[in-house]
Amino acid sequence: MATPLIVLLYASIAALSAIPGGLVRWSAEPSRDRWLGWAYALAAGGMLGAAFVLTGVSDATAAAGAIGAVLGVGFIGATHSVTRLETLDLSRPDREDPTAGPRLVAIHALHACTEGVAIGVAMAVDLSLGVFMALAIAVHNVPEAALLSSATREQGASLPGTVGLVILSNVGQPALAVATWLLATTVPASLPWVLGFAVGALLNLVMTELLPASYREAGSTSIALVASVALGLVVLLGGILP
Amino acid sequence: MRDVLLVFAYGMITALATGLGALPFLLVRTVSGRMIGRLNAVASGLMLGASFGLLAEGTRFGGWQTFSGGLLGVLFILVTNRYLREHHPQAGSPAGSEPGKADGLRRMVLIVTVMTVHSLAEGVAIGASFGGGMALATFITVAIAVHNIPEGVAISAVLRSNGISVPRCAGWSIVSSLPQPVMAVPAFLFVEAFAPALPYGIGFAAGAMVFMVLLEILPEAYGKGSAREIGTITTLSMIAMMLFQKMVAG
Repeated sequence: MATPLIVLLYASIAALSAIPGGLVRWSAEPSRDRWLGWAYALAAGGMLGAAFVLTGVSDATAAAGAIGAVLGVGFIGATHSVTRLETLDLSRPDREDPTAGPRLVAIHALHACTEGVAIGVAMAVDLSLGVFMALAIAVHNVPEAALLSSATREQGASLPGTVGLVILSNVGQPALAVATWLLATTVPASLPWVLGFAVGALLNLVMTELLPASYREAGSTSIALVASVALGLVVLLGGILP
Repeated sequence: MRDVLLVFAYGMITALATGLGALPFLLVRTVSGRMIGRLNAVASGLMLGASFGLLAEGTRFGGWQTFSGGLLGVLFILVTNRYLREHHPQAGSPAGSEPGKADGLRRMVLIVTVMTVHSLAEGVAIGASFGGGMALATFITVAIAVHNIPEGVAISAVLRSNGISVPRCAGWSIVSSLPQPVMAVPAFLFVEAFAPALPYGIGFAAGAMVFMVLLEILPEAYGKGSAREIGTITTLSMIAMMLFQKMVAG
């Protein structure tokens, strides 16, 4: 099979794995929801692990990677400005605010695009690394889509509507994966920059979205446990790669 | 014997370098609530970046060993933290003082403990690498000494935000690195015996550090600023630490 098709296939698997997550129904307790917190922590730890695996493969000059990483941080910061993240509760969007729903889907979509870049650049480095990255992000997408669905249900969306939104917010992932792969393979000089970008963006997503949201839902002991074990497992599996 | 003294002296230099990490705090005059959040974010980023460096080092020796060492590190912090909570809820502060103070004290004890344990593993790494020949000694010492400075910054950030003076921050930073010269010597002399334990030790240090950051330092930071500000400072500090380590390693 041609490589772009492999990239598309695995990135699509990653995106589609969001659907079972979207179908999961979460108990909607009024105050804090531990399961929600643990889902965030699982997603955060897995993503930290993915970022770690990407930092290990860059043999290019450290400076290009670091500048790329700062650009990645800036990109996530810009998406937060555009979607006005600080006025939005990711887990319990305000029902009275008509922009909350679209902004929530937009945040998830931008988030999925960033992961698409990570999959694409990993594929460009090495196909087995890319497959690993796609599978890691597929697992990460399950709790993430569950979070989106619990929030859209809070907003009053129907179940088919929620599944539709989950798919809509994830289509950018395979598209960006293929585009990034094309860029990194046709212009090899861009590889360290794109790797850095993916690392910076993933780390900033964890630190500004996933972890703060997780601590709001559950105690820091369980959050720290879930996130560090998830990080450890991804690091372990990433190290087994040929 | 001369070699042993040299290894110890070089280990000592790396420990003293950690104290330099307190110096930037001479410039920070008052420590406001907002500043505490930012300092904790910097400390978190530096320690997470350092853990990534340790994980990269450990997984080169063995993934499973590093992973199981990491789980032990998590367990160690869990037990230590529980012990500190149960046995010294008010340690060092007068009875009836505000609970926030006791929390701050626990956090300080925890970070100094974690960084001390982590320099045990680093000391072994220094000693073991000296086994490869004394020619590299100076280079490795300088590399580790420079690499210790941001670790001193991380410790000082947490201590300083709890009102500890700058000279004391420097003192505790040095104390946390003392195991380096102490462990470097036996590791240098008995390299064969220590080498198999190295990935476990490195994993232990990384697991303990990541878990402590997630358990104590980051939640404290998020409580004192917006998720966006704290998260971005943490990420940038982490990137800076990783770049720094890469440049030091050459």
